[in-house]
Order: sequence, then structure tokens, then C-alpha cells
Amino acid sequence: MSVSVAKQGHVRGAAGNSLVHDEVIYQETRDMRLLGFALFLVSDVVLFSAFIFAYLYLRNTVDTWPPVVDGKQLPRLDVAFAAVNSCVLFGSGVTMHTALENWKHGKKAAFNIWIWATIVLGTLFLCGQGYEYAHAQIGGWSGSIFGASFFTLTGMHGFHVLVGVIYLIVLFLQTRKGVYDETHYFGLTAGTLYWHFVDVIWVALFFLFYLF
Amino acid sequence: MAVVSTTTTTVAPHAVLDHIHPEPTSFVRRYIFSIDHKVIGIQYMITGLLFFVLAGLLAELIRIQLLHNDARFMSPEVYNGVYTMHGSAMVWMVIIPLVTGGFGNFVMPLQIGARDVAFPWLNLASFWMFPIAGVLLFGAFLVGAPDAGWTEYPPVSLQGPVGTNYWCVAIFLIGISSTLTGINFIVTILKMRAPGMTLTRMPLFVWAQLSTAALSMIATTALAAALLALFLERVFGIPFYDPTKGGSPILWQHMFWFYSHPAVYIMILPAFGIISEVLPTFARKPIFGYKMIAFSSVAIALVGFMVWAHHMFTSGLAPWLQLPFMILTMIVAIPTGIKIFSWMATLWGGSIELTPAMLFAIGFLITFTFGGITGVFLAAIPVDLHAHGTYFVVGHFHYVLYGGSVFGIFAGLYYWWPKITGRMMNERVGLWHFWLTFISFNCTFLPMHWLGLQGMPRRVATYLDSHDAVFWNQVASISSFVLAASTLLLFGNMAWSFYKGKRAGANPWGARTLEWMISSPPPYYNYKRVPAVLATPYDFGNPLPYIGLDSPEGTLPTPQLTAPPAPAPR
Repeated sequence: MSVSVAKQGHVRGAAGNSLVHDEVIYQETRDMRLLGFALFLVSDVVLFSAFIFAYLYLRNTVDTWPPVVDGKQLPRLDVAFAAVNSCVLFGSGVTMHTALENWKHGKKAAFNIWIWATIVLGTLFLCGQGYEYAHAQIGGWSGSIFGASFFTLTGMHGFHVLVGVIYLIVLFLQTRKGVYDETHYFGLTAGTLYWHFVDVIWVALFFLFYLF
Repeated sequence: MAVVSTTTTTVAPHAVLDHIHPEPTSFVRRYIFSIDHKVIGIQYMITGLLFFVLAGLLAELIRIQLLHNDARFMSPEVYNGVYTMHGSAMVWMVIIPLVTGGFGNFVMPLQIGARDVAFPWLNLASFWMFPIAGVLLFGAFLVGAPDAGWTEYPPVSLQGPVGTNYWCVAIFLIGISSTLTGINFIVTILKMRAPGMTLTRMPLFVWAQLSTAALSMIATTALAAALLALFLERVFGIPFYDPTKGGSPILWQHMFWFYSHPAVYIMILPAFGIISEVLPTFARKPIFGYKMIAFSSVAIALVGFMVWAHHMFTSGLAPWLQLPFMILTMIVAIPTGIKIFSWMATLWGGSIELTPAMLFAIGFLITFTFGGITGVFLAAIPVDLHAHGTYFVVGHFHYVLYGGSVFGIFAGLYYWWPKITGRMMNERVGLWHFWLTFISFNCTFLPMHWLGLQGMPRRVATYLDSHDAVFWNQVASISSFVLAASTLLLFGNMAWSFYKGKRAGANPWGARTLEWMISSPPPYYNYKRVPAVLATPYDFGNPLPYIGLDSPEGTLPTPQLTAPPAPAPR
């Protein structure tokens, strides 16, 4: 086990026989936050997994997919547009990674450019998603189990992207206020992790809705 | 594993405890919006016990209705709402918050030698979601209570009154609270243990909390998804569950039980932990099979994820799927049996002291084992096809949830009350409480087994007009009134003790886990100096395995023998 709060204290250790801790400070350490944040992401993965299970379960109850609703065969989703939009999101993962690397190396100007690139790409993805919602011919959210699972899952993902964009803007403002420095930047790590998480979820959704 | 760091670090002069995290002085910051795990734990207990009274009164309404089979006390519609709310409140507003938020928060950080949980502010947020959720849930009565049972199976739940939406939101909220508490506890247990406290030196209650936290962190968001879909379908007509729109009611059952079966273990594992603390203390013996008890908690948590469909044997599950679920369900009995036998071996030859806490722990062994065995019956598909949806099931789960979880909560209350308040409860009243509870509990729920086997269905406002059915229902009802009355003894005892009880001192039971090494109630910082831990806490008869303790009388430089020595082997 790595360093924990209780172990940061003053220890007169193995040499002497008294393992007495004089002062131990209460504080959240970086690895506590990292573990906590990772666990949060795990529970979020379960949320998506449950809906993905629901989608696959419902899909399994009908003979053809997309399903036939009121005697009408629903069309498949437009793969080409979604593929381009996916690239926008995956690209934003690269820019976010670059932003964090620049921060670690103290290149603040480059960090500012790359985090704004991420924010813009994320917003672009959301706009693309909105365009797709407006043009999807699958009978709307409440029209069928196709619409229900597609709009709920991608909507939940979109909501996560929206939260991510807002979080990145907050992080940028925090860096302006000097909350983080080159060695203490947990918020940026969390933001990057979150952004990659949103990317990975999209990989699964893109496969399940457009390719599968 | 590097247990104790041997490097000597110099603490910066400004890093004095009180400077970083001073004890708040205002009433609101100290008792209402406190970030101290002990205060939050007590808040959970008070709120949980309040809902326990409300949900218990609902249970009494059910029993008043079933005194006669003419459905004249309540209309069937009202009755549906009452049992739905009783079940929902007991599971989500009483047992889960009490065993995780209540005892987990108060006891666990003390037992691992930590000053607080990993994320105190998150803890504060988790707690405050709980009363809000509870008020929302009970608020459903004002607009029409949900009436499809605590499981809220569609399509009935889709047609239920507006209160069903309140139910969704309330359970969603308490689910988020439970998830966040789970995350908080895992990080606390993995990262904040006192030096020298390896995983296999943790008290068993901490092991139980670790397994429970993993369950609530992973499973609860699956329930959140199911609830979100139900809410969307009810409010916006998004088809997930309605078969007329292509949805599937069975989908809800899968998603619901994927959470709600692990939830059974969320409710019982902490009670296992409490029992594992109480038994060795009052038997004055090391716990038997420490590692097996610890690892069986983890095994139960793991297998608990793979048994959910045993609730669905009558739902048209594919036969090839039923068999593995039956076998896996029966496998749960193995780690549970390991625990039961280890506890019995702990009692064997011990110098047993029958305090109320110990009596409830022993009562737990009897009633929980009984409920566990009927659970194995129900796991067998042929039996389940016959007994599903009858009072046999009601009897079964009240034996594990009341005879298990609630008895565990009672044992924990008697055991840690001196630590929480610094005062002792009246032992004689406690004994009365136990015996009245134990006898009336069995008289209430035992008849349900044969009523169920004779075919009395659950969730129906009336029953067959036969001499037998009326007689046994009246026995159950009258006993349930005694059961409710006996609980008043506990509350009276608590109130009396709070003002008049004898001062407890640091360690009234002669227990050996870390929380008993500091004054009662514990100081704001728990440990001025965090002790080093040399061994498991249960070796009665040996010196305490702690170095550098900060005892109420002053720092103890050397291990002290605070517990009376173990009796000589016979």
C-alpha cells in the first residue's frame, strides 16, 4: 500500500522500538482523491452498462433491428456523420492529454491553447449530436424501444460531455486564479480522466448503435 | 506490503492539527452540517430510527388489517400503498442507512485509527440526501402512495399513482447517497488505516464495511438506471417496460434485482460485522477463524452479484438460465455457513457474559440461520415455483432482515451506545427488551411460513376464510403488537441512559478494538496520536497489540492489559 494519511506522521521506526506517532495531519492526499475519483468513474460505468444491458435486452426481444413500428421498418442511423462526429470527440481526447502534459511541464500558454481546443471540440461534438437528433428518422424518443434506448443512452452521454465541457471551463478559470501549480494539479488530472472516460463510453455507444 | 514507514519525517510547524481542521463552535456547523464522521454517524442513526418508527407503524397497520379477513380496516387500495411504503422505507430509509451510514460512519474510522473518513464534505452531502429522500418518500402519501410493492414491477408500477414518481426520485437520491458513502468508505479503509494495521489486522466490522461499500458503490448505480428508465417511462412515456409499446417488464426485474439482491447483502454484511465484534468481546475469546470470516464477507459480496435472477424463477426465465442461478444461490450458503460455524466456535468454551448486546448477537445466530435455511429452500426452483409470492417468502425475509439486520442493529446499539454517549444503558430493561423482542418476533413471523405453504399470497388485503388462517394471522398480529411495544423499551432505555445512565468510561466491556482505547464519547480528533498496530484485535488474554495509544488518562507508552484474562482451558 502506498502512502496514506496515517503514515505521514513522525515515526520512530524499526531501529528504536517505540513506534510513536507524534503529529499526524488530516488531509486528503492525491492518491486518496485519485482512488475516490476512479471509483466514481467505475460506478458511472455501471450506470451506462445497465442502460446498455437494457438496450441489448430490448433489441433481443424483436426479430429485426431496427424494429418495425406500426408496420413500418425504421431506418438505420447515419454512420458517416456519426463517424465524423466521433472523430471530433476522440480528437478532443488527444488535445486534453496534450493540455495536461503541457501543464506538467510548466508550459502554461500551450496548456491554455490545448484546453480551449478541447472545450471547442467538445462543444462541436455536442452540436453534431444536436444535428443528429434533429435528423434521426427513428420516430423520436418515445416512438419505439429504438428511440428510447438510443436517445436515453446518447442523451446521458451528451449530458456527461456537457458536464465535462463546463468542468473544463471551471478548471481553466481555476488555473487562471492560481489554484494549481506544476506539482499539485489534481483537478486537471481528474478532468482529463473524466474526459477520457467520456471518450471510452462513446466508443462503446458508437459501436453498439451505429456499427452493430 | 510496507506496513510501517521507517523514515522519519519532520512535521512542518504550522501543521498542527487544530490549525488545519479546527472543531467548529457554532451549533449549526457542529450538529447540523457537521463534517465530523461521528456526528454524521449519529445523525444517520437518529434519522434512521425515526424512519424505523414510521415504517414500523406501517407494519402494524398491515397487521391490524390482517387481524380479520374481511378487509374492513383499510380498503385494498390503501393497503397496497401501506405495504409498499413499509417495504421501501425499511430497506432504503432504515436498514441500509443505519448499518452503513450510521454504524459505518461512527465506528469504522475509529476502528482503523483514522481521524475522519477520506472525504468529510462528501460524507456531509451523502447524509443530507437521506432525510430529503425520506421526506420525499413519505410525502408520496399526500399525492397517492406507490402501490406496486417495494419491487415496483411494471406494468403495475407504470399505472400507479403520482406518488410512484416521488418513490423513484426518493430512491434515486438515497441511491446516490449510498454510492458516495461506498466510495468514501473504500478510500478510507484502503488509505487511512493506522500504521501496522494490515488488511488482515483490521477488525471484522471494517472488513464487513469494505465488502458492503464495494457492493453499494457498484450495484446502486444499476438501480439508478432502472429508476431513471421507470421515471422517464411514467413521466414522458419513453417505452422501456410497457409491453404494449415494445418494452419488457422482465427488463425491469433484471435491472431491479441486479441491485436489490446485492442490497440484501448490503443490509446483512454490516450486521455480520457487528456480530463478529460482539461475540468475542462477551465470550472473552479470540474470534474463531478470523481470516475465514473476513474472506467469506468478500466471497458473499462477489457471489451476491451473480444470483439476482433467483427472484425471477416464475417470471418466464429461460430454463437453461435458471439452473446456474439456483446453484449459485445455494453456493452463498457456504461462506455464510462458514461465518455461522466460526461464530459458534467462538462461543464454544468462552466465558460468556449475557449482556443485551450479546443476547441480541446470539438471537441473531438463531433467527438469521433459520432465515438463511429457508432461503436455501427458496433457492431450489421446484420449491420456489410453489412458494413464490406467498407468506413463506415474507416469513423468510423477515427472519433475515429483522432477525438478521435489525437484531444486528440492536446488538450494535447496545454495544456501542457507551462509546457514542459515554453512558451505560440499563441492563435489566435491555434484557426485557431482548426477551420480549425475541419471543414476539418468532411468534409474528414463524406462522407466516406455514400460512404461506398453505397458499396465503403476500400483498393481498384479505385471506382465505378458514379457521387456521384466521387463527395464525391473529397470533402473528398480536405478537407484532408486542414486538412494537418491546421496541419502546429500547427507546425508553436510550432516553433514560442519555440523561441518567451510569458513566461508561473508555472501555466498559473490556473490548480490544481501537475505538475502546479512547475516551467515551471520543474527542473531536479521535486520536491525538495515531497508534501503531501489531496484531489482530481479538487475542483476549494477551497484552493489547497497540503502541503509542492516547488513553484518556494520558498516553500509554507500553501495551496495557485492559481486558480480564481469558478463562483457563477446561
